[in-house]
Amino acid sequence: MSDTQEIIEIKFADHRGYVPIGSSVIREDALAKVTGQAEYSGDISRPGMLHGKVLMSPFPHALVKHIDTSKAARMQGVHAVLTAKDIPGENVFGIAIADQQVLADKKVRFVGEPVALVAAEDPFIAAEAVRSIKVEYEPLQGVFDPLAGIKEDAPRVQEQGNILLHTKVRKGDYLKGFADADVVVENVYRTHGQDHVPLEPEGGIAWIENDGVLTIYSSSQYVFRDRKQVARVLNLPVNRVRSVNTTVGGGFGRKDDVTVEILVSLLASATLKPVRLVYNRHESMMTQTHRHPTITRVRTGATKEGKLTSMEGVVYGDTGPYSSLGIFVIKKMALHLGGPYYFPNYKCDSISVYTNNPIAGAFRGFGIFQSAIVHEQQMDELAAKLGIDPLEFRLKNCLREGLSFSTGQVMNEACGIAATLERLKEYMAEHSLRFSRNMEVV
Amino acid sequence: MKVRGIGIGSMVYGVGYGFSRPDFASAEVEIAPDGTVTIWSGASELGQGIRTVLSQIVAQEFGAAYEDIRVISADTDKTPDSGPVSASRSTYVQGNAVLAACKDLKQELISLASELMGVESNLVEIQNGQIAAKDKIGKIISFSKLASEMHVQGRRTHGFGWHNNRTLDVDKNTSQGDAYSSYAWASQLVEVEVDTQTGRVKILRLASATDVGKAINPQLIEGQIEGGAVQGLGFALMEEMQVEQGVFNNANLSTYLIPTAADVPPIDSLIVEVSDPSGPYGAKGMAEPATIPTTPAILNAIADAISKRVRYSLASPENVLKVLGKIDGSGKEGFLLLEDIPYPVA
Repeated sequence: MSDTQEIIEIKFADHRGYVPIGSSVIREDALAKVTGQAEYSGDISRPGMLHGKVLMSPFPHALVKHIDTSKAARMQGVHAVLTAKDIPGENVFGIAIADQQVLADKKVRFVGEPVALVAAEDPFIAAEAVRSIKVEYEPLQGVFDPLAGIKEDAPRVQEQGNILLHTKVRKGDYLKGFADADVVVENVYRTHGQDHVPLEPEGGIAWIENDGVLTIYSSSQYVFRDRKQVARVLNLPVNRVRSVNTTVGGGFGRKDDVTVEILVSLLASATLKPVRLVYNRHESMMTQTHRHPTITRVRTGATKEGKLTSMEGVVYGDTGPYSSLGIFVIKKMALHLGGPYYFPNYKCDSISVYTNNPIAGAFRGFGIFQSAIVHEQQMDELAAKLGIDPLEFRLKNCLREGLSFSTGQVMNEACGIAATLERLKEYMAEHSLRFSRNMEVV
Repeated sequence: MKVRGIGIGSMVYGVGYGFSRPDFASAEVEIAPDGTVTIWSGASELGQGIRTVLSQIVAQEFGAAYEDIRVISADTDKTPDSGPVSASRSTYVQGNAVLAACKDLKQELISLASELMGVESNLVEIQNGQIAAKDKIGKIISFSKLASEMHVQGRRTHGFGWHNNRTLDVDKNTSQGDAYSSYAWASQLVEVEVDTQTGRVKILRLASATDVGKAINPQLIEGQIEGGAVQGLGFALMEEMQVEQGVFNNANLSTYLIPTAADVPPIDSLIVEVSDPSGPYGAKGMAEPATIPTTPAILNAIADAISKRVRYSLASPENVLKVLGKIDGSGKEGFLLLEDIPYPVA
């Protein structure tokens, strides 16, 4: 640059609009969302677009003996009726383990499992076509409870057996820890299943671009895994698939794995037309993943001075018929069952079990949601038994820098649990709040 | 009779995937000839605000106006792979990747600025949208002027950053090991009122002390805390999948109840900042910690109010009346005793 003089003359001043980190700037997507301009998966359309619809299994566990799609295929306005045999590549997907079929082949394993797919000129024709598909099933005995599922003679949900993963956490000597305890609290807890209910159900649209690239716009938490999974099922090179995220109306873990991406891709590829599929609420709740129901038995010991000495626990997680993220949700639960407290001795087993219940997977909280329901009630009961204020009991036992987690990992200066408890203590003082009674053990 | 109680729920959450699962993020930043900056990020915007957070990080790094930052998100034809948006990892892992991309691009900017200003590169700093030489007052170049020169002189105008959050694995038999690179912490307090005649539980107050390390955007954090608390409240009081012989019987919003505004109490978001040196500006993940403590805090508050405990996690009016002994609960399917669940051998 020749005009060095010009550089020197510029005044050093605050930049227009500069705001430091820590400022509550208005979110950059706010205007589009509040004015309705943001395009969710169901808002995107293309000329000549068809509508996709899924036929869901009515049985939790059954052999698929025969599928007759002839009537649906003959209906005016129907462009494609697809079953497992029409899949060009591998009929499989799965976020952690590829153990889930895209369309049921010989067997269905949950109520709601997709069995056939239709693309038609309007959603009503698509629904009518789906209703006209005749499927002959042979119902099988199912597994509906993880405790039943682990029995030797239980029906097999997956051919290799019903235990997906057994995680063991072993720290110190848990029996010695209980010998050192003056009080022990032991309980069984059940947690129930929950649906994510993202305001926007799963949806997407796919078409083939002029250059032959399969293009998918969908409501997704991870487009790069979507395109790999689509490529495998469609038998395409990965670079011939483009996956783009639309505006998303909530995911909460539900849209981490593929949802409709493979389905719309199969239909677009079969019809050479754009195909959109947006689940209605019922379809979304039937076909997608949920929060794991769990059963936990746990015992926790402490000295009369109020120091935790040991914990023993076992968790059974009902993961449904396919892994999804059930392998890691239940593993993470074993590590976190003691909560943010220091246990010198810790023994925990968690067992993720295949069943014929709705599929469980990633859901905001990822096993720790269920763990906290267990450890926090244990803490309150121990505090009550010891006659110690519940908040003080937590402060007395919480992890701090230098203390180790259930895995033996030593906490560093970022360990913040005590700070959150102290903040609540201040809050209680500010608002004159007190625990209302001496909680008896019940 | 209506009785009130207070309960606390606390939690620890290992951020990211842990135990050696791949956990990485990439990002690119590009400077245009007028000094505006574009971020290419593979991270999905789910409503959590990651695009805003990444824009704030870049604005901070370049001293640029927040309005001058644009984000291109999650498109396999355009953006680099930033890993999934899950495990409360986006601000932490993707934020670090964006910081690395900024650092990469800043080196290019500083290199040209040092040539133009005739000073050593270690004396050049970027501040408030301008590039200045530390030791020579008056040697200042505007960000836009320098950006324009980057293009004219064929310099690299893209910065690339990658952050690897992969940890070591834990021991296969004992799960001992450093499973996670960062942990998040939260505690909540709930005040409830229980109607002992009807079993109905009303939440009167909820306070969430959430350790976020560093609040990059406090309002977005309040949004996460409030949404998370409502999701936990729904789980505790009304949301239940009723599944019988594999059939999800209430798979529609007419029978599967979720909270409405009428169910939500005043929520006090108490932001706690215990800095994590491994996070961007000290930030930790906080999306899941916002929801985890709510249900146990509610269940503990109910126990504080009625001296009885709902061990089945749904505190529906029916289940509350059962633990109060007003209706029979022992015959309920799924009622378990300790001996039904033996501990596995050591």
